[in-house]
Amino acid sequence: MVMPATTEAYSLGTPVEMGKIEQELKKLWHDGEGAMTRASLMNLAVYSEQPGSLNNNTQLMARLTENHACRAIVIEADCNADDDLVSAWISAHCHVSSVGSKQVCCEQISFLLKGGCTIQLPSIVLSNLDSDLPLYLWWQEEFREPMDPQLWWWVDRVIYDSHGWSDFHSQIHLLALMQEEANQRIVLCDLNWTRLDNLRFALAQFFDHPASHHRLAKISKVRIDFALGFRSTAVLFAGWLGAQLNWRIEEVKSPLELRFIGASMRHIDVELRERDGEAVHEVALTSADVEFRVTYAHCGDLLEVSRTQGSETRHPQLMPAGKNDPVGLISEELIRGGPHRVYLNALHCVRDLL
Amino acid sequence: MNRAPDQPQANPLREGLSARPVPQPCSIVIFGATGDLTHRKLVPALYNLAADGELPPGVVIVGFARRDKGDDGFRSDLDETTRKFSRQPVRDEIWNAFAQSIFYHQSEFGDEAGYKGLAERLEELDKSHGTRGNRLFYLAAGPDQFEPILKNLKAAGLNQTCKGSWARVIIEKPFGTDLASARELNRVVRNSFTEEQTYRIDHFLGKETAQNILVMRFANAIFSPLWNTHYIDNVQITAAETLGVGTRAGYYEEAGALRDMVQNHLIQLLCLVAMEPPTDLSADSIRDEKVKVVRSLHRWSRSEIAANVVRGQYTKGTIHGEPVLGYRQEQNVNPDSQTETFVALRLFIDNWRWADVPVYMRVGKRLPKSATEISIHFKKAPAVLFNKDLRDLNVLVIRIQPDEGISLRIHAKVPGTSFRIEPVKMDFHYGTSFGKPSPEAYERLLLDAMSGDATLFARSDEVEEAWAFVDPIEEAWHAKKDAPQLYFYPAGSWGPEAADDLLARDGRAWRRL
Repeated sequence: MVMPATTEAYSLGTPVEMGKIEQELKKLWHDGEGAMTRASLMNLAVYSEQPGSLNNNTQLMARLTENHACRAIVIEADCNADDDLVSAWISAHCHVSSVGSKQVCCEQISFLLKGGCTIQLPSIVLSNLDSDLPLYLWWQEEFREPMDPQLWWWVDRVIYDSHGWSDFHSQIHLLALMQEEANQRIVLCDLNWTRLDNLRFALAQFFDHPASHHRLAKISKVRIDFALGFRSTAVLFAGWLGAQLNWRIEEVKSPLELRFIGASMRHIDVELRERDGEAVHEVALTSADVEFRVTYAHCGDLLEVSRTQGSETRHPQLMPAGKNDPVGLISEELIRGGPHRVYLNALHCVRDLL
Repeated sequence: MNRAPDQPQANPLREGLSARPVPQPCSIVIFGATGDLTHRKLVPALYNLAADGELPPGVVIVGFARRDKGDDGFRSDLDETTRKFSRQPVRDEIWNAFAQSIFYHQSEFGDEAGYKGLAERLEELDKSHGTRGNRLFYLAAGPDQFEPILKNLKAAGLNQTCKGSWARVIIEKPFGTDLASARELNRVVRNSFTEEQTYRIDHFLGKETAQNILVMRFANAIFSPLWNTHYIDNVQITAAETLGVGTRAGYYEEAGALRDMVQNHLIQLLCLVAMEPPTDLSADSIRDEKVKVVRSLHRWSRSEIAANVVRGQYTKGTIHGEPVLGYRQEQNVNPDSQTETFVALRLFIDNWRWADVPVYMRVGKRLPKSATEISIHFKKAPAVLFNKDLRDLNVLVIRIQPDEGISLRIHAKVPGTSFRIEPVKMDFHYGTSFGKPSPEAYERLLLDAMSGDATLFARSDEVEEAWAFVDPIEEAWHAKKDAPQLYFYPAGSWGPEAADDLLARDGRAWRRL
């Protein structure tokens, strides 16, 4: 398909007047050449205050929409500008569908906001939603007051990355306010948690077999290797183990040494080690004489999982590791549905350590 | 569909993870390991499961076949074919690790000693790979080999398991050639494995859209009130393919379209469309409801069969602009063959929900396009206001393959000052809405069998009931006297005219595909 607005791969597309966006979108589809199908399963709004984010996020959307059909609403805000100004563009991301030669297209509306950002934001998002579809809001900034109820009332899932937060507790407090505004309806999607998905899956599968269950009650040591700057990710992992296995923190020996206590007053020592590698590079659980280990394989995008007991031969298996980049993490997040109760439990378990 | 019976209820680390629990480690023994099915479908499916992290560490694959071959030779063959047929590109790192768990065991199917050797080898693998005595036997050999394989598995004690482990057998169709042979096969299977251990595979049920029929019917409130004789005029099921008999003439000459497709795939699809809501999503609850549909199929008397079932055979013609041979001219086909390559049926389901709603089924080779679809044709709105002259009905179409999806035909006013109404189509395509491609049917079904979930597998009573429905038709066709006619149709057409007459008599027509 050749569409006027998509001749440049990551162009913002056609500039449009604010009041004519829907009209221009219709034209965009009407004027497109060749067979194409517009697809949308959700509204995905992205908000950033980074200069140049409009272009960067447009590139991300081009890749994301290959697998996640949505109406993308990409917003860059310059809150320090002197004058209030809103500019808008429309464009389309077209891909050949996975089942043939059909062109599947998703539309993007881009906004550059200058001046009173937080005041403009709700009306801009709400007036451009594709009806009847959920609203996912990917908030690339730290949250700050005021948390506008007009906006949060409509959000179904808010996506953020706690990894870069400067003050964890104030951010969590703001998230709680947002939840209050939305009657606890919003699903909190922390990309720092999503980063752990494949590791959690790789570790969990050791214990699917009933014969392995008793091992969970005998875990005495946990080692989590993380990369510089990803301590919070490692702590979340420890929080997940703690929450799911009914451990509670007994002692924080140092920021890298924790001691949990289990249901039967058993101690579990958790060692966090900073090492070169992926965000969380390796996890090892010791349960009596068995070690369960999940580590990144040399090729980087696979995990090597193994269980060793005494002299037993090790048969490591490779499993998908997922990608620690925005497209990989957001894709993972969009595939998943339902609430994130487990995340909230993990967070609750270790929030004082974050 | 339901929680797999083998999976523990309480792995606390599993909570909230989107991927399903991995099954228990096991040995998968494939009988007929050098055949097409193993190379094209089974091993590529297992590789894809491994690449997606859905297989547990410790799964081993043991190929059992007659040909002289070693582990390395077998791995090398599979390496080549998996690269060719895998859904996703083969990655060397994953394949190399996966291939280390593939072994080959050479034996005749009827050689008892070969099974003793197999048992010893599996025990060794249990120790070296932690497969814990769990065995999945896949019968990918010809049906004539089922009995010796099953008998010898039993003789070698491989149908038995120690506490905490399991043994299961997957059987490929055909599940018999008639009711008597199906019963005999079920008896043979039961001599070695219980019904709970037996998984009769029908790959149509592993397709995403087939599974989605239940979701569409029972997760959407709008369809439920309409899904009955009060609102549905007729149901049509079409399984069309452009291919001819190809290299399958040996089998097809004996089977024909009715046995090859209707007895299993089409009746299974019909069951999903027509069944009552199950009490829960357990395998037996769903299969209980499915079997009731088959039991309710109206049995035609011999004299009624000609009026309700049409059989046809393709003659030479054109497919996609290319001339093709007629069936009787195909290799290994009897020049006087009476085998049907096309069947059209007019069925009724004699129950409260479906009384008087005809179900039209057609299946055929060398038809103009390849498509498997189910269409639900709704009754006309009252013939007042706009409907006096409308010919088209509202139609809900469930596309099974290719281009899986659902469409709904409704009526809309054509823009303008006059009141002209035309049908328009609302369309949902899996490939458009969900970028991620669906797993292959065999991936889903193998994983289910490893997990002990039999929902998508046919139960013995379903199979027998389906044969009980099909057998009288076959008997009528093979009767020495007054056998219904075999019609001929040129390749590239939609079958014989008699198939159109089947609906025309009711004032209906096949949906245009």
